[in-house]
Amino acid sequence: MIQKAILLCLALVASLGTLSAQQCDLVLRGRVLHLENNQPIEAAYVWLSESATGVATDANGNFVLKNLCPGPQTIQITFLGHKEIKQSIVLNSGSNNLTFKMEEEVVALTGVEVHGHREVVQTTTAVSSLYGEALLQVRGENLGESLKRLSGVTTFSTGSTISKPVIHGLHSNRILILNNGIRLEGQQWGAEHAPEIDPFLADELTVIKGAETVRFGPEAMGGVILVNPAPLPTSKKQVTELNLIGNSNGRSGNVAVSHSGGSGKIVGLGYRIQGSTKRAGNIQTPNYFQGNTGMSETSLSSALGYSTDKLGTEAYYSFFTTELGILSDAHTGNLSDLLKIIENGAPFSNAEFSYSLANPKQVVTHHLGKIKAHYHLNPSWKLNFQYGFQSNHRQEYDKRRGELNTRPSLDLELFTNTAELFLDHNLKSHWTGSIGLHLIQQANSNVPGTGVTPLIPNYDLVNGGIYLLEKFQKGPLELEGGLRYDYRSLSTSRYLGNRLQEKTLTYQNGSAFVGGLYQINPKLAFTSNLGTAWRPPNVNELFSQGLHHGAAAVELGDTQLISEKSIKWVNSLEFESEKTTLELTAYANQIRDYIYLNPTGETFVSLRGTFNVYEYLQADAFFYGLDLSGTYSFSKQFNGYAKGSIIRAKNTETNSYFPFIPSDRMDWGLSYSFGKHADNDNNRITLSQVLVAQQSREPDFDLSPAPPGYALVNLGFSKKIKVGANGLRISVQANNLLNTEYKEYMNRFRYFTADMGRNFQLKLNYQF
Amino acid sequence: MKNLRKVTLYLTTLLTLAFASCKSEDPTKENDGEVITDVTLKFQELNASNALVGSVLSFKASDPQGIEVGKTPTIQSISLAKGKKYQMTIEVANAIKGEDITQEILTEAAAHQFFFLGQVFDSSFFSIQYADAGGIALGLKTIVTVSSSTGTNNSSMRVVLRHSLNKSFPGASNPNFANFVQAGGETDLDITFPVIFS
Repeated sequence: MIQKAILLCLALVASLGTLSAQQCDLVLRGRVLHLENNQPIEAAYVWLSESATGVATDANGNFVLKNLCPGPQTIQITFLGHKEIKQSIVLNSGSNNLTFKMEEEVVALTGVEVHGHREVVQTTTAVSSLYGEALLQVRGENLGESLKRLSGVTTFSTGSTISKPVIHGLHSNRILILNNGIRLEGQQWGAEHAPEIDPFLADELTVIKGAETVRFGPEAMGGVILVNPAPLPTSKKQVTELNLIGNSNGRSGNVAVSHSGGSGKIVGLGYRIQGSTKRAGNIQTPNYFQGNTGMSETSLSSALGYSTDKLGTEAYYSFFTTELGILSDAHTGNLSDLLKIIENGAPFSNAEFSYSLANPKQVVTHHLGKIKAHYHLNPSWKLNFQYGFQSNHRQEYDKRRGELNTRPSLDLELFTNTAELFLDHNLKSHWTGSIGLHLIQQANSNVPGTGVTPLIPNYDLVNGGIYLLEKFQKGPLELEGGLRYDYRSLSTSRYLGNRLQEKTLTYQNGSAFVGGLYQINPKLAFTSNLGTAWRPPNVNELFSQGLHHGAAAVELGDTQLISEKSIKWVNSLEFESEKTTLELTAYANQIRDYIYLNPTGETFVSLRGTFNVYEYLQADAFFYGLDLSGTYSFSKQFNGYAKGSIIRAKNTETNSYFPFIPSDRMDWGLSYSFGKHADNDNNRITLSQVLVAQQSREPDFDLSPAPPGYALVNLGFSKKIKVGANGLRISVQANNLLNTEYKEYMNRFRYFTADMGRNFQLKLNYQF
Repeated sequence: MKNLRKVTLYLTTLLTLAFASCKSEDPTKENDGEVITDVTLKFQELNASNALVGSVLSFKASDPQGIEVGKTPTIQSISLAKGKKYQMTIEVANAIKGEDITQEILTEAAAHQFFFLGQVFDSSFFSIQYADAGGIALGLKTIVTVSSSTGTNNSSMRVVLRHSLNKSFPGASNPNFANFVQAGGETDLDITFPVIFS
């Protein structure tokens, strides 16, 4: 460090000295990246021998050297654990732009650390992540709720415990969730089917807001969510993290532990084991309890990895199980019941607090296992292989008579195999890319004995894809493009009464994207990405035929539906200076043959009463919107942030609006840090406000009008305490501090109940 | 290198097995256990000393397919004499599974209750009392009194079966409780029978 400082001083003096001597006004800009994964290298040292000037790269790997003289120069770049770069360059007039890629040093040298291999997504699409401090703040919340902190991401929820992430107005099967690199395959088609994943397993949650079908396969139309664990340790260091969380509303408790370490004997061998468990009771709104809204959840994950300089291998397993109560009043027998409770606007049952769960409820378990390996054929070429197995078991219980009450009325088992083989190249020239094969196989079975005609048939699905990605990177410019072709075959069979119905459907589609990033100056970057995506109709959209229990609706599928095809254009501008960060994302998404559930306006009469009839239709849709987020440091201690998003979505064929599109919203907050010592950020108080407008763009038919807009105030305090060499963090947070009664348009239970009232949360995080 | 080849071979075999064994089960026929296909209202006259007299009049509502779109249930008209008192019993069955659900409702009397509504009660053509064994409010057995002056010969009665309700909710002991939804629970049956007076 001191050496660097001295060099810098020397450089400064030297450059001052030469400044007056000749026409030395040239500028050299450049970027230093890891050869392995193209990630920027921070604090690599760049030195120009002839000019005797040097500089360290910033967080984005960028460097600028000014006041250089024309002529030949020797550039030297050094970074710990990497091979030094020494290259002759010739500086011409004007500005010069160069990109350097540093190769990791071979491990043969004793004492050199083997780096954990972290897969990073290379994309020119707008990306937002939650990690570190921001992730700590959302610990204990489910995936949907956690991601709400990112602008452009909202939730589509069913009560307070079930929430699905929505990216730019799209959710469920129109976005993808990756659990440590494997497409999460559950029964995502249902509005009340939450993603089967525990955010505690991640040390980073990333949202890619573009159409990413080429990279990840069909359905990645609105965006992709990456739930990424930390890279496995490769050194002997052992780390244990403990989280304890308690909430006053729902009187819930949440414990999470993770332990990771490496082997001292075998260099490059690392492991991690992580688990969490949660228990909650009935949720309280400002004026009443919501009956039967408790839940329990347990999850476990473990990973074992071994890496050398050439080979990286990893085995991973995660398990997730949950039992969720569904607000009993939301389960209605027929249309007149439904209308009565909507008219009332609140549950009829006068519930009290309880942890016990009764029907209706869901019991879901999900297992995911994967093995992954990569092999560096040579410094530029890497062969990757990944296989994942998933088993998803979903049981939904309804209020039923007699012995049937103990049996689920929906009981589905879904098995998924995914295999991926791809070859990456990262050439010393400006080109990187990969070519790959992607296979998905799925088998869905209804477990017999429910006493209910299954909502969706048993099916087998095979999807094969081949893709090609290439990226060109030079100086401040990155350009990328990709192509993919997919073939999908779906064969289904089921009994409708006594009649066996069998069907085989095939879909095939190509998709492509082009994108670019331009670093306008060290503070400002612009990205643009235009991508196509497709989504074959889901099994429920094809085959639903009958009563959707609890929703008082009869839903009719259509086997003639064709694939949805979309083209999404995302543009993003990022500004980062010492005091300010600003991120603006604008997008437009044109979807052809968008599949939606349309009320037919007809009713169906049975002995049980009347039901509304809905059918799946297709129409062209157009989504567009803006996300804005920014932070500003008023002083070292006083910081502010604001973010907001606007979405517009229209059925362009009927010129009408779709239901459940997030309304305009923003939140902002101020934080003040203080402390006794030099590190004066040990204590922090944060005050924030969430503002949500009423959805004025409502569909032609809705069971009740959109609820009015609302504002919520949150107040938090966090403290860092040093316990020996370890860190303890304590935080107290009050959400909905004023106990405001409100209904969120994106919550399907807004028909029946107000949202959650005030909640006090206590959080402890201890690392040792 | 030899080892690597071996590993690759094992892996390929394992994967082939994994992919080959991933097959969905053959579908099985599922008999809808929850469905009610037949509801029969049986009326028998009660004389002045509350003894059963005369023959049983039986009126049925049926929907052989259960809940299936495009089919509407067949509902017979109830035909009763003015000024008379009847004992009404309700029988509920699932013809698809050949199950008598009446007994199940009786067993779970604490979680079930029939409510009787519609024009016959609004216009006081009928009055009704629960008459189930043990004096409970269930409605499988009731006593119906037909008014002697009905003004019209055509009316209607709505029969609702609720389950998982709070039976001690204020007002729920009344068989004509119109706000039954407020007592919580779910509707199992909601049938409107035409009524003809003779």
